[in-house]
Amino acid sequence: MKVLVVEDELKIADYLYKGLTEQGCSVDLAHDGLDARHLALEIDYDVIVLDQMLPGLDGLAVLQSLRAVKDTPVIMLTARDRIEDRVKGLRAGADDYLVKPFSFMELLARLQALTRRGRKHEATQIRVGDLVVDLLARKAFRDGSRIDLTAKEFALLSVLARHQGQILSKTAIAEMVWEVSFDTSANVVEVAIKRLRAKIDAPFHSGLLHTVRGMGYVLEERSAR
Amino acid sequence: MSSARSIAIAARLAAMFAIAALLVLSLLGYALDRELATVLRRQQIDQLDTKFQDIDYVLERLRGPEQWERIHAKLDALTPPDRSTQYWILSDDPQIRYGNALAEIVSFSQGASNVGELRIGDQPEPMLIRSAYLPANARHAALRFIVGIDSASYARTRRDFHSVLLASGSGGVLLFALIGYLITHWGLVPLKRLSREAHELSPSMLSQRLVVTHLPAELSDLAQSFNGALDRLEAAYEQLETFNADVTHELRTPLTNLIGQTQVALSRERSATELVEVLQSNLEDLERLRAMINDMLFLARANLGERPQQLLRTSLAAEVEKAVEFLDFLLEEASVSVRVQGDAKAPIGSSLFQRAVTNLLHNAIRHSPAGSEIVVEVAAGESQARVSVSNPGPAIPPEHLGRLFDRFYRVDTARTNSGESHGLGLAIVKAVAAMHAGSVFAASNGGITTVGFSVAIGA
Repeated sequence: MKVLVVEDELKIADYLYKGLTEQGCSVDLAHDGLDARHLALEIDYDVIVLDQMLPGLDGLAVLQSLRAVKDTPVIMLTARDRIEDRVKGLRAGADDYLVKPFSFMELLARLQALTRRGRKHEATQIRVGDLVVDLLARKAFRDGSRIDLTAKEFALLSVLARHQGQILSKTAIAEMVWEVSFDTSANVVEVAIKRLRAKIDAPFHSGLLHTVRGMGYVLEERSAR
Repeated sequence: MSSARSIAIAARLAAMFAIAALLVLSLLGYALDRELATVLRRQQIDQLDTKFQDIDYVLERLRGPEQWERIHAKLDALTPPDRSTQYWILSDDPQIRYGNALAEIVSFSQGASNVGELRIGDQPEPMLIRSAYLPANARHAALRFIVGIDSASYARTRRDFHSVLLASGSGGVLLFALIGYLITHWGLVPLKRLSREAHELSPSMLSQRLVVTHLPAELSDLAQSFNGALDRLEAAYEQLETFNADVTHELRTPLTNLIGQTQVALSRERSATELVEVLQSNLEDLERLRAMINDMLFLARANLGERPQQLLRTSLAAEVEKAVEFLDFLLEEASVSVRVQGDAKAPIGSSLFQRAVTNLLHNAIRHSPAGSEIVVEVAAGESQARVSVSNPGPAIPPEHLGRLFDRFYRVDTARTNSGESHGLGLAIVKAVAAMHAGSVFAASNGGITTVGFSVAIGA
């Protein structure tokens, strides 16, 4: 995935570069609006991460000149969280926005969602190690035996399975499973993961559902140490 | 500035007093002058009549022509040296004629008898004239007898009256203006005192108020509303102060953790595993800080009057059910059930509403004993729909109830740094209620705690 990151705050730009590169993206950096506009118009990126407040030319102006030419997905970063700012950004053609302070996991999830939009059809059956998730029949099997899951547990498992190998934050999980888009101190996701783990992992010899402390959860087969 | 304004009021009122006085005195003066003129004219006529009758009487008694000389002498004697009274007798008989028969007199004295004014020669004032015609009889030939009195003294009286009237009138007007000014000045003294007091209010003494006692009713109202505004300002200011103190405190704990842990970790060689653990722990604290800052931003925006982007008329019970579904795992884990009863429709921002209900339910779950039931009641009122969440739980002392919705307010002051809650949950409920033109309420009766909020039903 080819990503342009436009951010004048050097520390943020650096960790975004590092993080996204490590996630397998090829990342270009721009630190001001003029460079950003030049790069965005010259090169075809899969997605652009655009800070709203920039020296030279602000994010909205960059977005406008980009939109005059092409439809590259753009996610705006803003420090101001007022409805006017959001509306302004979205109206100017941004596909999504994130308010600082944002988490890297969140950004990653949004970027993946934006670039996946075009993707055609998904598999109806997902395999993670010896776990099989049948999305059509809404059934899960491990090691050949059926796992009895409630509707929400299955929804959670299918979200994790669709993103296997990818760390999903609690916020992302809450949004995808319960369509809850607000912050809450209720530890619903933790409890749900605990229950799911009791059903899909506990009875078997190896764990597939892993906690990445502070970041979220990931469903993947890890080779035994 | 304030004293200039009160002087301006005094001057304005003084001018109004003066204008009123001028009007009243002018009318009074005019009426008096009219009356005086009438009285003077009547007196003049009376005087003329008296003189006329005197002579008439003499003429009645006339016995023969030989007496005309005596009459002439008498008329001479009656004529005062300043000639303010004059007599004329006109007749064809030269023996009878008396006085300087001027052409004006002759032309004036026509007909049987008349009264009128006549200016003679260069006299400044006209004379009041009365003439009578006596036909010829046995004792004398036909004659016309005329008496004139000078009106100069009457005119002088009126002139004098006019100047007195003018002098006293303008004096009166000035006096009225002065009195008006003094009265107003005196009347405005409480206002000046009030203004001085208001000047002395300073931000360093927030509890200062204007003294309302001994103020006239009109000002008392003003001062009371002013004090009311001060009350609200003080409350807002204090809230801000507490908020700042709270924020500082709430931020200090995770920051202390972060700094301390990182320093300890860096103070000697660590294995990668150890460093990863420190980073993970740091990340947890940082996530907590982020959540807190986001919530505070939310509250700040709500405080600034931000409203939901779009309001959709929705069944509130259905929205509550969604929140219950979200919290299902927590409910099961805590062995607590939820019953939703009643319903109402109201225009709401769905996500905001669910957030508020989730916070209330989460709160209730944490304070409910296992096996108990939480009741969510949705009720439509006249203009508001109420959502109340009741759960069995320990009684909350009344002094805490009102402050439950304050930011960072915790009933147990010993902060349970569970990390689960940062004390903004109910403040967010309050903000959501405010964003829907509603309010919040809390009660604790007979082992049941009820906390809830309302939203406007709207047109």
